[in-house]
Amino acid sequence: MLYRTAGQFKTTYEADHALFPVRQDAILLGVILTLAFVILPLTANEFVFKALLIPVLIYTLAALGLNILTGYAGQLSLGTGAFMGVGAYACYKIITIFPEVNLLVAIALSGFFSAAVGVAFGVPSLRIKGFYLAIATLAAQFFLVWLFEKWAWLYNYSASGAIQVPTIEMFGVVVAGPNAKAITQYYFVLGVVTLVTMLAINITRGRIGRIWKSVRDMDIAAELVGINLMKAKLSAFFVSSYIVGISGALFVFLWRGAAEPNLFDIPLSFRVLFIVIIGGLGSILGNYLGAMLIVALPVVLSYLPGALGIPISSSMVEHLNTMTVGALIIFFLIAEPHGLARFWAVLREKLIIWPFPH
Amino acid sequence: MRKVLKSTLLATSILFAAPAFAQDVLHVPNLSYRTGPFATSGTPLANGQLDYLNMLNERDGGLNGVKLDGTECETGYNTEKGVECYEKTKGNAVLTQPWSTGITLQVLPKSHVDKIPILAPGYGFSAMQDGKTFEWAFNPPSSYWDGASILLSTISDGNLDNLKGKKVALLHLDHPYGKEPIPLMEQLAAKHGFTLLPIPVGLKEMQNQSAQWLQIRREKPDFVLMWGWGAMNGGALTEAAKTKYPMNQFLGIWWAGHDADLKLVGEAGKGYRAVSWSFPNNDAKAMQDIKKLVIDAGKSQAAPGEFDTVFYQRGVLIAAMGVEGIKVAQDKFGTKVVTAEQVRWGLENLDFSEARIKELGLDGMIPPFKTTCADHTGHAGAWILEWDGAKFIKASDVMQADRAAIDPLVEVKAKEYAEANKPWPISTECK
Amino acid sequence: MLNDILIKPFADMFGAPDFLLQVLWEGLVSGVLYALIALGFVLIYKSSRIFNFAQGIMVVFAALTLVGLYEKGVPAWMALPLTLGVMYLLAMSIERVVLRPLVNQPDIILFMATIGITLFLIGFGEIIFGGENKVMITEQLGIPTGSWEFEPFGGFLSIEQRDVTAVVGAVVLVAALLLFLNKSKMGRAIRALGDDHQAALSVGISLSTIWVVVWFIAGVIALATGIVWGSRAGVSFALEVIAYKALPVLMLGGLESVLGAIVGGLAIGILEKLFEIYWGQPLLGGNTETWFAFVLALIVLLFRPQGLFGERIIERV
Repeated sequence: MLYRTAGQFKTTYEADHALFPVRQDAILLGVILTLAFVILPLTANEFVFKALLIPVLIYTLAALGLNILTGYAGQLSLGTGAFMGVGAYACYKIITIFPEVNLLVAIALSGFFSAAVGVAFGVPSLRIKGFYLAIATLAAQFFLVWLFEKWAWLYNYSASGAIQVPTIEMFGVVVAGPNAKAITQYYFVLGVVTLVTMLAINITRGRIGRIWKSVRDMDIAAELVGINLMKAKLSAFFVSSYIVGISGALFVFLWRGAAEPNLFDIPLSFRVLFIVIIGGLGSILGNYLGAMLIVALPVVLSYLPGALGIPISSSMVEHLNTMTVGALIIFFLIAEPHGLARFWAVLREKLIIWPFPH
Repeated sequence: MRKVLKSTLLATSILFAAPAFAQDVLHVPNLSYRTGPFATSGTPLANGQLDYLNMLNERDGGLNGVKLDGTECETGYNTEKGVECYEKTKGNAVLTQPWSTGITLQVLPKSHVDKIPILAPGYGFSAMQDGKTFEWAFNPPSSYWDGASILLSTISDGNLDNLKGKKVALLHLDHPYGKEPIPLMEQLAAKHGFTLLPIPVGLKEMQNQSAQWLQIRREKPDFVLMWGWGAMNGGALTEAAKTKYPMNQFLGIWWAGHDADLKLVGEAGKGYRAVSWSFPNNDAKAMQDIKKLVIDAGKSQAAPGEFDTVFYQRGVLIAAMGVEGIKVAQDKFGTKVVTAEQVRWGLENLDFSEARIKELGLDGMIPPFKTTCADHTGHAGAWILEWDGAKFIKASDVMQADRAAIDPLVEVKAKEYAEANKPWPISTECK
Repeated sequence: MLNDILIKPFADMFGAPDFLLQVLWEGLVSGVLYALIALGFVLIYKSSRIFNFAQGIMVVFAALTLVGLYEKGVPAWMALPLTLGVMYLLAMSIERVVLRPLVNQPDIILFMATIGITLFLIGFGEIIFGGENKVMITEQLGIPTGSWEFEPFGGFLSIEQRDVTAVVGAVVLVAALLLFLNKSKMGRAIRALGDDHQAALSVGISLSTIWVVVWFIAGVIALATGIVWGSRAGVSFALEVIAYKALPVLMLGGLESVLGAIVGGLAIGILEKLFEIYWGQPLLGGNTETWFAFVLALIVLLFRPQGLFGERIIERV
């Protein structure tokens, strides 16, 4: 009923290929955006910002980056965590060398560093495929984290080997550092994520996105119809690592406030990969849904026993939490291997033809 | 669908309504870790802390009639979880215990904004000693630099010049915690003419240190000092026993002096020494009360035999320090339910004199110390403990760190920290 | 600089040959362990095209079960078969709950599912066994714990008896496995399944039986690895990270080659130790073992994209 498409006629091909062929989609998006930009900031408290909203957005961005590589271009990568680290360290160096640089500019620039590193480690993809490539990206993962540890210049020779975000102002408002308000940081992150999402939607729908998809579906066939594989694969690595890099910079500057090298170790990579797989490969919406499940759910779960008055120790909660997340991953893979995004697509189809079954 | 909606609503309402009814309870949250590769060390400490608080609640009905709540939040020694835990528990906390140097690093700037004191006994930044710069952070009774200084003085028989021309290896976890003593040791090495050889152990290599011990065999250092934690200690001790490195030249910091780690090597670990600002004393009154009221009453999570160990009883001491800080604040401000700001004052005016330690029923477990506005460590000094094949025994009297070497470095590092994080609030209250 | 890279390390090696022998021996022992873990991966990949990330946690789980049973008062000789029983149950439940519903899904989905299994087993294991470091019951299992000392070249070489036992045990295990795969009916069925799923199914080979058997064998290998590694450094969840060590071995040796897993494991064990001792520690600040194997494998792959012993990749359009 809500999704009835009757009466929405398309008279041109362009209208049929529009971003929102169904009017209700646009309305729904409007509602969600209002929720994100107006309602949530008015109602959420600091804990909700810091433990739920901001991390979900940042992980979404990282997953979006990986999804472009894995979901659209078909190159499996297990090095996301390290590329986030490159973005974070680059941003840290830019900010500490040129303190007067605007944080937004610094974050935008730091993406280029991770993009460059990503392309360098993407070169083997021209010869190596599938799981062999996945393990090859692990070389990047382990080598870069080791480098973050050993290259003292990266963390300004601080004794602990960790980086610490100083207080940063933008147009007179503190946006990063311990004095920043959670709501400011939320808006900052939300702004960046919205912008990148819009760009990503356009890129993936455009010419280059279609090239990537053809490479994903079968690279030799794509080559035969005249697609330059090197350009296609490396551009996917570039765009993907760029987005992953800025998500890493946001991760440290707008959320964590400090970072040590092993923060970017393999568990982070796996976490982002989970989001992509559970959310749905080759879907932009999936990243959001996946991030909500993988990032926010454990936080909520760890609250439940206490809130419901079940007396179990915090370590037991943690064990159960790990188990539940593992079981949920298996459950979702079995229930819908194409991810949560497909769930929504099926639901939407059903709504459109409702009340008829077919 | 409606069911889903309902449960979502329920979940969110729970989330938003978290800090409700907080009457006459003092919240002393603990960001503990009983999971992951560091659980070996973390579990007995957390048990000791919790049992002490429970004992006070059972015996005295809390502190001056106010119950103590030592809720734990599990971090797994993971910085990301640690920060989440800090945010989750800070609402009504009178102090916070981040439990890892990495987490401390992240929580430190936040605590100065949120105005919650960090209690980090025997860990965290050594420079936290400087109470002017780190108004909200406390690391009594001894800092890592104190430990390093005492260890060096032990291996040089009291005079660091005896180390001239010798080689000292520092086997450390490749993590903020393990790197903490390096600045002081480097300085002392340059001054007294010995060679310092830092040997990092990565988090993934903790249980497979053969490369590190091959390096030790090749370099033949005169002494090996260990800044180890969790599974790393057991790995190092088995490798040391295997390479036949003389145990009497192998010493560790207090976190590397854990009974369970030494039991892995047993007899072969005889002669291994660790510096420690705590010592187990089962006969102390507080320990007896814990045994009677908590352990024998089946209210403890401690495993059988854990009660006698260094780490369990150190946990008790750590809890006692926090509680004493609250007590001092209660006395000073004449109110039972003190605030975090008042507890900060309390922690700054801790006085663990011989008499007070006895009064608390902790005699013989910790050397006396006193914190002040400018000195947040207190410098109790420490004992050297030695493994006799089955348990740790005291191998020295209380030893003091060389403050003349440490204090200037504290000042430099504190200034550096404030500079890197400006604008950083510097307390003007004390000189 | 060039001198430090090209000449000094070799001068060091020949200057202290007894030390070099020790390094090689240590490398060999770790290599055997890497090979064992990689073998578990290869078996499962060969028969079901599943990249089984859970092999690492299976090692921990098997070792913890063994020690846990012993601590509960079960004698060592009985704890061993009981642990094998538990591993069989585990194999069965994984097949029933996870693999069967996921038949015919893309590789990456199955890979993710094994990570899900890993997380589940970590949580489950910690609830049952607790997080503490446990002592492996080495002596109770009849494994000698002393060491032999030699004095080659006037130097000193120490060889742990349990390491020798590990090497011998691994050789026996691999021989038995090869015999099983090549001579027994079940083994041939496993290999047939590896060659062509559909063809194997059409001649009446039961997929689910084979999967249970294969996962069980991987469990046995995990138990062997757990005993060996656990006796060196205790048993705890920190052991789980050794799964990562097997990945470059697989890349180097090829995902479906038993021989590749063994050769790759030994080569990586020895080379990474040599690199760490003679180049990593003096020149790069140490800890190069975390990435050396991966980078080495990456370089080899650039020349042979299917690994040293992997099946040639033939692509059809």
